[in-house]
This record gives sequence, C-alpha cells and structure tokens, in this order.
Amino acid sequence: MGVILEVKNLTKKFGGLTAVNDFSFEIQRGEFVGLIGPNGAGKTTVFNLISGFEKPNSGSIRFDGMDITGLKPFQIVNLGLVRTFQLVRSFHYMSVLDNVSVACLSPRGKKASEKVGLDKYASRILSEVGLIDKARFPPVILPHGDLRRLEIGKAAGTNPQILLLDEPFSGLSYEEQAHIHALIRRLSNEGVTIFITGHVLRELMNLVPRVIAMHQGKFIADGSPQEVANHKLVLEAYLGRGGVIA
Amino acid sequence: MPKKIRRKVSNTVSGSKNFFLGIPRATRNLYKEIPHQVKSFKAWIFTFRGSLTILCIIGTILIPLITMNDYIITILISFLIFSIFAASWDLLAGFTGQVSFGHGVFFGVGAYVAGAFVKMAGLHWFFSMIIGAVVAVLVGLFVGIPCLRLKGPYLALGTMAFSLILFNLFMSGELKDILGSTEGISAIPAMSEDHIAIFFYILIIMIISFIILTIIVKSNIGTIFKAIRDDETAADASGINTTKYKLIAFMISGFFAGIAGGLFALNSRAVNPSVFLALYSFYAIVMVALGGIATISGSVVGAFIYWVVLNELFKPMGTLGTIFLYFPTLISALILIIMIRFADQGILKPALEHLREFYDFLLGR
Repeated sequence: MGVILEVKNLTKKFGGLTAVNDFSFEIQRGEFVGLIGPNGAGKTTVFNLISGFEKPNSGSIRFDGMDITGLKPFQIVNLGLVRTFQLVRSFHYMSVLDNVSVACLSPRGKKASEKVGLDKYASRILSEVGLIDKARFPPVILPHGDLRRLEIGKAAGTNPQILLLDEPFSGLSYEEQAHIHALIRRLSNEGVTIFITGHVLRELMNLVPRVIAMHQGKFIADGSPQEVANHKLVLEAYLGRGGVIA
Repeated sequence: MPKKIRRKVSNTVSGSKNFFLGIPRATRNLYKEIPHQVKSFKAWIFTFRGSLTILCIIGTILIPLITMNDYIITILISFLIFSIFAASWDLLAGFTGQVSFGHGVFFGVGAYVAGAFVKMAGLHWFFSMIIGAVVAVLVGLFVGIPCLRLKGPYLALGTMAFSLILFNLFMSGELKDILGSTEGISAIPAMSEDHIAIFFYILIIMIISFIILTIIVKSNIGTIFKAIRDDETAADASGINTTKYKLIAFMISGFFAGIAGGLFALNSRAVNPSVFLALYSFYAIVMVALGGIATISGSVVGAFIYWVVLNELFKPMGTLGTIFLYFPTLISALILIIMIRFADQGILKPALEHLREFYDFLLGR
C-alpha cells in the first residue's frame, strides 16, 4: 500500500488564465478515484500536467516516491503512469492489434510481454477489452465505443500501475458505457490504481468509492460520492450560487 | 468441395490480408526461425505477390541479357539506383511521417564520399559505397537532431535548407581544393569493365536493400514508425521515445539514400554539386507518389514509370524536328499530372488489385 501519486500545490497558467490553481491531493495504491468538476474546471489540464504533456508553473508531482515533475510523457509512461485521451487518439492506418502492439513495444510493455510473446500478449489484451474479433480492422472504421475500448487497451498494453482515464464515458450510449464500466472495474480488481475524470456526477457515482471535486482550477472537496454530491461548494459549482436543489 | 470452400473463406475473410499481416509475425522472430523463414519464403513465392515479384526480377535480369544494348542497360541501372533512393524516402516520409524535401543531402553525401574514396584512396567500390552510406547516416543524425523539433511543412523546409546549404558549400570557389567546386569529382574509376556486370552488381544491391527495407518496415520497429506517423502524441502516450525512433528513421533512410548516391557516382563515374539540388529530392518524392506512399515496393513501380516509361519512351519524338524538341518533357509531364490526379494512392495498389482479379480469373477461381 502507500501513496502512489502525490500532487502538491500544482499551478498552471495559460497567459492570464490560471487553469489549475494550487491543487493538491494524494492517491493510495490500488485506489479507485474520480475527479469531477464542471466543464472547464481544469480536469484535463491536471491530467496533462501529471502525464507530462504540459509543464506546471509551480508545484510538484510525485509518483511512487519519485519526483516526476518535468519528465517527458514517454518516461512517465515507462514508470507506470499511463493516461488516455478525452478525444480518442488511435493510430488510424494500423490494425487494432498493431495499435495495442505499439504500447507493448514500449520498454515497460516489452518487459511485461516478453514472457508470453508480443502477439499473444497483445491479443490477450484485445480479448480483455472485447476487440479480439476486430483485431485486423483499422481503427478508422470502428464505432466510437470500440475506439474508447481500444484507448483503454492501448493504455493497458504498457502494463500500468496507475491509469488516468480522461472522460472515458463521454459520447457513449448506455450500453457502451456499461461495457467500459465493467472493463474499468475489472482493471481495478486486478490491482491497477485508477484515476478517472467525468463532468457528469451520475456516471461516476456508482463506480468510484472516492471523488475529488474541482472548480475553476481549485480543489473544493474530497470524499465519498455522497459526501461530495452534497457538499455546498460542489452544488454551487454545478448549479450556481443559491441553487434550488439542496 | 471442402477444399474449395476453404479457399474461398481464406480469400474473402483474410486471404490477402492474412499474408500481409503474416510477414511481420514471421520476421519478428527472424533470428530464431531461419528454417521457418525458408519455408515461408517458399510459400511466399507461390502467392500472388511473390510470383509477381519473382517475375519482375526475372524480367529485369533478362532484358539486358537479351538485348545486350548499352543504352537500355544504362537506363535500367539508373532506374535501379533511383528506386533505392525513392524507397529510402518512402521509409522516412511514408512510414515515419517525416516528410523531407532535402533527401538529396544523403544522396549527395553518399555520392561524394564514395567517389572520393574510390578515386583518392583507391578503395574497392563496394567498401567506398558502404563508407559513403555510413557518412550519410552521420549526416542524417546531424540533419535529424535540429530538424526533429519541426513538424509537417516546416520539417520539409528545414531539410530543404540543409540541401541548399550543402549545395552552396560544394559550389563555393574558396573550397575548390577540398570539395572540387563546380567540377566535383570526375573520372572515378569504373566499378567494372563489363557493363552487364555493373548492372548485376547494382541489381543485387538493390534487391538486398529492398529486402532489408521491407523487413524493417514489417518488424516491430516498423510498427513504431507507423505509430509515430499516425499520431505522435499517442505514440508518446504509449511510452514510445518518439525522438529516438525518428532519429533512427533518419539514419536508416540516410543509409539507403547514401547507398543510392554512392552507386550513382560510381555508375556515372562523376559527381557534381547538382546532386544536392532540390531536383534530386523531388525525384524521390515523385517516384514514391507515383508508386504509392507507404509501400516500399511502390517505389520500384514509381521509379520504373518515371525513369523508364515517362523519361525514355517519348524521347525519340524529340529527334523529329526542332518543334518537337520539348515534346517528350511536355507529354511525360502531362501524363504525370494525370496519373497523380487519378491515382492519389499511387499506382501500385489499384494495379495489383486488377492484376489479382486477372490472376484469379486465369486460375479459374
């Protein structure tokens, strides 16, 4: 056990706009945490900062006891911190299997796949995410729900310790959402720490035992979904001041 | 009856695709499974693509042997050299997505170094060619490191700037003693007395280069290259050190472009600064665009169409009279435009599809 991800006083400014303002939190190993906030709260920026795609103006990020602030994205991935994108990013002209193989070819993924063999390992991941019968198709012809699953499969290919899922439910039908739900749960049960964002509270409510809420780049609440949902500041953030629903 | 059904299933579901994806599986374990390789090579020969390739190679071997015409051999030699050059560009631009307009840099450096070693040091042409290619790799590193921060059109312009720098450097009168200025290197000793022997040397080098390039493209490293081409950010998020692999692509591409350049200098027995001109870089681009981007074998088709068909077929027309002097260029340029307009994926893929249908028809499938 112990703390796997520790974010301290993280601040990111884009010109005059402070997207993330003095944001701090901790995540324990094996935990399943949600990050909520209305649109534009800065959730994706927090993810970008943690995964190294953007550099913070100040503050530090410690992963597994190691300072990873300022490391390059691929270095962070190879330590075991992997993120997915809100707008799905797949390798459009390669087969689905090769999409996952790329992740398995990263130094960290290679270590994991060496014993089994690359193809077997990648196809095992594909069958876990439910895309094995589409292994030879290029992602361009897949529906959105499948692309989301592929995105998670690609992240799983690098054998992550902690998985940062950026809005994995956005734009999906209920059925597809249920698939992703089950998939994330399974990953969590396997011992992967999961940090997930969403701007709709209900999606995350049934899924995560702990929620961190943010608004306008600031930390506002941390606790169980029930606690957070009834938190005064959270209600204000979602409904505005003097909201009718108490 | 069952046999027929099986064939049908394998044709429709995964027939051609199965084979296409089958090669990486085999080549990924290349070192461990050489006997398996031989077996799959034997199987490959009898597939559609395999038999076609073998047929083309046999044709290329037979043409000079039958005609014994020096002119035809010369044309074929330049076609072979430029197909290596085009394929090296295809690896960098088509597979890794790093579009370079300065590929002539590698070509020219390979040509100069190989020429210099043969002439000044009296080294065997083969080793000079390899040294030239190795120097081109170093130049690839030198060009790659500053250019890697550039993307898309800026990378193209950055690489083009390098080729212009080298062109002016090799043209400069002040450095005449070292770099030869406008004269370049001339009177390079020939590779062999026999014209046909030269042809076969180059053919063998070309075939080996294409085998190596195909293996690279279909191996794990090729998968990573394609990932970088499709989405660099996503490759980064998958834990791939994109900078490293882009540099590797620059170096591999530089090596083969250097080999092509070395062969060019050794074959024409002279080299001058014009090899650094954008023209030579665009030769590669046009050939690849004609054959099909991101298909190593398309470069051969493109080089053949551009160099042999378009360049040579209409040449006799120029001798008809002064009015017709520029007709060959005009017609070939028109055909080029039409081809690129109607075959935006290159000629290879649609041509192969039609040929395949014909092949299946011949076999009564």
